[in-house]
Amino acid sequence: MSDRSVPSASGSAAQESLRERRDFARSFDSLEQIFAMVRRVLDARGVGEADAYAIAMAIEELFTNMVKYNAQGLGHIGLEIECSDKDVTCSLVDPDSERFDINAMPDANVHLPVEQRRPGGLGIHLIRRMVDSIDYDYAGRRSRITFRKTLNRPWAEPAGASGGGSDKNQSE
Amino acid sequence: MFDISHGPDGTIVFSGRLDAAQCAKAEAFIDAAGAVQAYDFGGLEYISSAGLGVLLRRHKRLVASGGRLRLINVNSHIYDIFRFSGFDQVFDVQRAGS
Repeated sequence: MSDRSVPSASGSAAQESLRERRDFARSFDSLEQIFAMVRRVLDARGVGEADAYAIAMAIEELFTNMVKYNAQGLGHIGLEIECSDKDVTCSLVDPDSERFDINAMPDANVHLPVEQRRPGGLGIHLIRRMVDSIDYDYAGRRSRITFRKTLNRPWAEPAGASGGGSDKNQSE
Repeated sequence: MFDISHGPDGTIVFSGRLDAAQCAKAEAFIDAAGAVQAYDFGGLEYISSAGLGVLLRRHKRLVASGGRLRLINVNSHIYDIFRFSGFDQVFDVQRAGS
């Protein structure tokens, strides 16, 4: 497993952000190292538990999809985390992939009766409720997925939940 | 890290993080445990969609024999994951402290 780690701090003294980037082998075995990196960066900025959960989960879902659906791709998958005092921005880069824009995927239908529910298909659905934006970029076989999470903002309520709030990121 | 074991009260006890890398371990234990329906999540900090898949598969097998998966001591973050996925309406989910 490649261990290229590029920590850096940038920005003005008033809003210094912490950034770290590493490459990981295309294997679920990389998850332990990935979570260690996430914890290290987020703990350094005192990110709260709920936000840390959402960020770790979003990274896992995106990384494992890259591994599952492109196991034969060349090169490692890059992960970059940038943490300011207001938000966290994460990017995952697959350097050798076919184009697949996750934003084009519809939400899972979570209201199906249990006999019609299938394992799988929930990763993107859940990420959409936990982060504020997801961007997809593709050029020259290189896929880049970037999400941003505002810190200390609650996860989006499911549509129809008591207490109000509207579900976000419905399928376009 | 993730651990799974038999509880003293006939439950299966989960602890740590049930991520995609740990699902095979979880599923093997669950399958070997047979008809146990109650899972104690008191020590479980994290579950991802891969873990939800393990639970759904198990629940469907229980339903086929007239049972239902019951999850107890579920923390607030994992409870939210169940709400967002609709699984709070599928499994019998009891929040920690309730």
